[in-house]
Amino acid sequence: MSERGRQTLVATLAGIAAGWLAFALLVWIYGESPREVAGQLLAGTWGMAYGVGQVLYKATPLLLTGVAVDLALRAGLFNIGAEGQLAVAGLAVGTVGASLPPGTPAWIALPAVIAVAPIAGAAWAGVPALLRARFGAHEVISTIMMNRIAGAAVGLALARGLAVPGTVRTPDVVAGARLPRLEALGLPSLHGSAVSVALPLALVVAVLAAWWLARSRIGRETVLVGLSPSACAAERIPVARRVGGALVLSGAVAGLAALAPVLGYKGYYESGMGAGAGFGGIAVALLGRGHPLGLLLAALLFGTLEQGGLAINARVPMEVMTVLQGVVIVAVALADARVRAYVAGSIALPRRSRGTPP
Amino acid sequence: MSLLASLLSVTMLAQTLRMAVPYVCAGLGGVWSERSGVVNIALEGILLAGGLGGVVAHVATGSPWAGVLAGALVGAGIGLVHALIVVRGRVDAIVSGIAINLAAAGGSRFVLRSLYDSSSNSPPVDGFRSALLGGAGGGALLVRTLVDPLTIVTALLVVATGWTLYRTRFGLRVRACGEDPVASASVGVDVPRVRLLAVSLGGAICGLGGVALAYDEHQFQSGMSGGRGFIALAAVILSGWRPGRAAAACVAFAALDAAQILVQDQARAASGYVAQMLPYVATLVALWAIARRRGAGAIGGRPPAGLGRAAD
Amino acid sequence: MPALLSLDRLDKRYGAVHAVTGVSLAFEAGKIHAVVGENGAGKSTLLKMAAGVVAPDAGEVRVGGEVLAPHTAAEAIRRGVGMVQQHFALVGVLSAIDNVMLGAEPVNALGRLDVARARARADAVAREMGVSLPWDAPAETLGVGDRQRLEIVRTLVREARVVILDEPTAVLTAGEVSQLYATLRRLAEGGRAVIVVTHRLDEVRDHADEVTVLRHGKRVSTRIMQRGEAGVDLLRDVTRDIMGEEPPPALERRRREPGEVRLEMKDVHLGRALRGVTLRVRAGEIVGIAGVEGNGQRELVRVLAGLDAPDAGEVRCDAAAVVHEDRHAEGLVLAATVRDNLVLGELARFTRHGLVDAVALEREARARLDRGGVVPPDLDALAVALSGGNQQKIVIARAVGRSDRVSVFVFAQPTRGVDLGAARAIHGEMARAAETGKAVLLVSADLAELRALCDRILVLARGRVVAELPPDAPERVVGEAMLGGGLEPRAGAGA
Repeated sequence: MSERGRQTLVATLAGIAAGWLAFALLVWIYGESPREVAGQLLAGTWGMAYGVGQVLYKATPLLLTGVAVDLALRAGLFNIGAEGQLAVAGLAVGTVGASLPPGTPAWIALPAVIAVAPIAGAAWAGVPALLRARFGAHEVISTIMMNRIAGAAVGLALARGLAVPGTVRTPDVVAGARLPRLEALGLPSLHGSAVSVALPLALVVAVLAAWWLARSRIGRETVLVGLSPSACAAERIPVARRVGGALVLSGAVAGLAALAPVLGYKGYYESGMGAGAGFGGIAVALLGRGHPLGLLLAALLFGTLEQGGLAINARVPMEVMTVLQGVVIVAVALADARVRAYVAGSIALPRRSRGTPP
Repeated sequence: MSLLASLLSVTMLAQTLRMAVPYVCAGLGGVWSERSGVVNIALEGILLAGGLGGVVAHVATGSPWAGVLAGALVGAGIGLVHALIVVRGRVDAIVSGIAINLAAAGGSRFVLRSLYDSSSNSPPVDGFRSALLGGAGGGALLVRTLVDPLTIVTALLVVATGWTLYRTRFGLRVRACGEDPVASASVGVDVPRVRLLAVSLGGAICGLGGVALAYDEHQFQSGMSGGRGFIALAAVILSGWRPGRAAAACVAFAALDAAQILVQDQARAASGYVAQMLPYVATLVALWAIARRRGAGAIGGRPPAGLGRAAD
Repeated sequence: MPALLSLDRLDKRYGAVHAVTGVSLAFEAGKIHAVVGENGAGKSTLLKMAAGVVAPDAGEVRVGGEVLAPHTAAEAIRRGVGMVQQHFALVGVLSAIDNVMLGAEPVNALGRLDVARARARADAVAREMGVSLPWDAPAETLGVGDRQRLEIVRTLVREARVVILDEPTAVLTAGEVSQLYATLRRLAEGGRAVIVVTHRLDEVRDHADEVTVLRHGKRVSTRIMQRGEAGVDLLRDVTRDIMGEEPPPALERRRREPGEVRLEMKDVHLGRALRGVTLRVRAGEIVGIAGVEGNGQRELVRVLAGLDAPDAGEVRCDAAAVVHEDRHAEGLVLAATVRDNLVLGELARFTRHGLVDAVALEREARARLDRGGVVPPDLDALAVALSGGNQQKIVIARAVGRSDRVSVFVFAQPTRGVDLGAARAIHGEMARAAETGKAVLLVSADLAELRALCDRILVLARGRVVAELPPDAPERVVGEAMLGGGLEPRAGAGA
């Protein structure tokens, strides 16, 4: 196995081990038996068809936000704003989907609404991108602020008429704009679960992203910029443009994460939909280590935890899962830094430079 | 009372001061950490954890001071963890900060459910409610706020931070580590140790802010930090990492917060959302303003040059 | 008399590079001991280990007979070993007195700094040295000479008995050099051991009591120096030790008639760094820029590379390939592969419809790799894993690979930190470039390199070209031009 492959494996195993330890500890503190609770978790997720479907459903937006965060990381950026980008995109998709004429056929409606998501997400990422590219303002704080502003803006829009009166949700989208659920397409065993065509769509996006980074000129330059902005600047690669572009692209992909809940599950956008996918995406990206397969597995893992949290909520608070996310992130990062130091010996890999610190 | 009049009232002043305490504490936490060279976006999580710790201790012992102590300890502990991960573990400070915030958000809910069977609220606590000075008027509120021990402690901490940072040996070393960790190490300063101490100290102060937040509402509510930790960090950057000015910037943001509440009381639901956005939009504008002027004698001055750099 | 400081079989590796190999050495009180050698010989690394700043992989350091343990800078300082590093270890924004105090601050109750006491002590030391410094000024506003004096004051305030200086005269004027050595002599006479790392043999001739030569990380010889005729003889031996037995082969260069002007700068100004630079380089010639570091070399290269626009003046430069002086920051993406580095910035050439043609890229990268003689010849290796010499070969190969599209080459410190073999290969490339009609500008702090390669040497001082000399001009003349006439060290120079 290559050096890098070994590093990845060690870090991943470390993350999973730490996650398990934290889980066991917290469950035990709460007074329950870790093994029993774990068993219940598995039974409620991979142990039944509905569970599997739900895990897949929850993993879909996580995979997309994971790809989004990963894209930004490659350019040396932290996109913490996936939460807000997703919300704005969800609202846009729900609104556009509901405004189409009722009989619109799928081949018109679907492309239309699907296109809205990345545009909205990209637009929402535009402000932090501009601040970073033009002025060097650190994107961590600006994207977090955009998250909070998104919450208020979405609420405002819904209150100002986009919502069905008396509710906090948009009207139903037209039939042609719904993403069919997988069970309807021939996987009846997943009956009742919300997983839809959004999942294969997400897979395609993940593969496309990896391919873009490796094969396209802009993608490759973006990665180089992330590794050393100064060297790239010296060779006239447009650093600011690549950095800004990466953040905008990241926002676009994050916007796509809204498709699963809005078009694939409920058929409308509701305030608060997709919450948690933004930060979950960070965990997925850090665990997935830049490889589409890794991102998928990480998304499945966290999707399992999310669904599993519901399954065990009666016995142990599902918030345990959020704590696990934090623990896994740190464990993977620690193992990564450790492994890197061990392998490199006294050669220090340069730290990623990040423009103005937050 | 018209909107303008209420904005200029004593009530507004009182509300501003009241709300400034958590911001200022978080801001001081940011100053200590970043001046030593460690980026700290975990202030948000520390506010939450400190607040919860304070309330739990208060409920358990009946003493608000026990809560204060607990909140500071919890804050120091989390600060220490963050510093260990970053300084000894060589992990990127942003990654660590995000993880801590996640764990704090989930963990606080977990604790709430474990102890009090509710994932959103703790039992009510008195805090430092002073029975002597009841009354609902703005003046009464102002006086209550001024005599609140946490307000006084915070004000003292602002002064103490400035004095310690610029007049003591520890402060000199903190500033040196933040500016040039390599040079500091070569003259014998134990850079990792100084950073661990500074970040823990900052965490303790930030934890106090969380306690103040909870005592103000007389209970702990999940997610009650509401982005204040990030706004405080922006205030620190805006003020050039200087304690006095950071405190002033925090008060300014608190004023926006207070204004938002007054507006919401007065106006229709929809403009409530706009008011809600105010602090965050203001932060963005502040970020833009600093970044834009960074080259030419920026408002805030430049960051500690060693921010994010290791000693070796 | 037991040695104040003794080094016992010290060894240090940096990845693939064996910087110091089993060096043993002793330093006595009352002497000025010079440690000399070429770039990359291991001098700085060795002395950093002596001062506790770097931890050795093997071997021991003994201060006054006792092993230095724990091996840290703090402990070394405590035991009386002080080092003034080449790139000053001063915290710029802190005041001079703050810097003196840092790490050994006198305190009152509560940890409050006792600035008065620190100032008194510093004044006493400064008087002993015969200097005076503005204690309240931020360190970054001090001139280079003052900064150095500040560092020396700092080591003495901590009662250092061993004072180590790493390349102290690289950024000083002739007058300041004399002053420095007068101070060092005073310190030695006061019973201290003074160690100076230098590559300036004239200083060894005039001031050193003992001289040790390092080559390729090993100690080659230690001699007692004498003044006068005997000294000159000894210096010849020392020079031979530095170079090794084989004299460097003369570089064959077919010099051609210079052709058209390909690069021209007229009265170019940039901030305080460039104050009216005028120069011209023609096709087929190699023009050298000599000068003490910090006189505008970096800014000059940046302007020619098109990265900074001048405030005033004209720059006319045909298509150019630039090799920057800092290969870690500007030459290479260390965490990327050799392949990516070989074609850095040229992806557009290999792009069709937005996608990179991997086959064409591979072909070009392999060609450059082979031509450049990079070792190991692995396109997938990460640049960070290669030695300094090979890293530089990548940067040069990239520049040379653009030969058919450029008519100007700018090389900034191309052989800094590079082993002899790689340096020779790089010199060969530069000579070849000129032979094929390119205009070559070589900015270098290595006078020998400039003499061997250049058709004419321009001396850059205080942001202006102050002299134009033939390559065989006497060293004295060049040196004087470089330190020429009342050169004032700029704030920021050499830091």
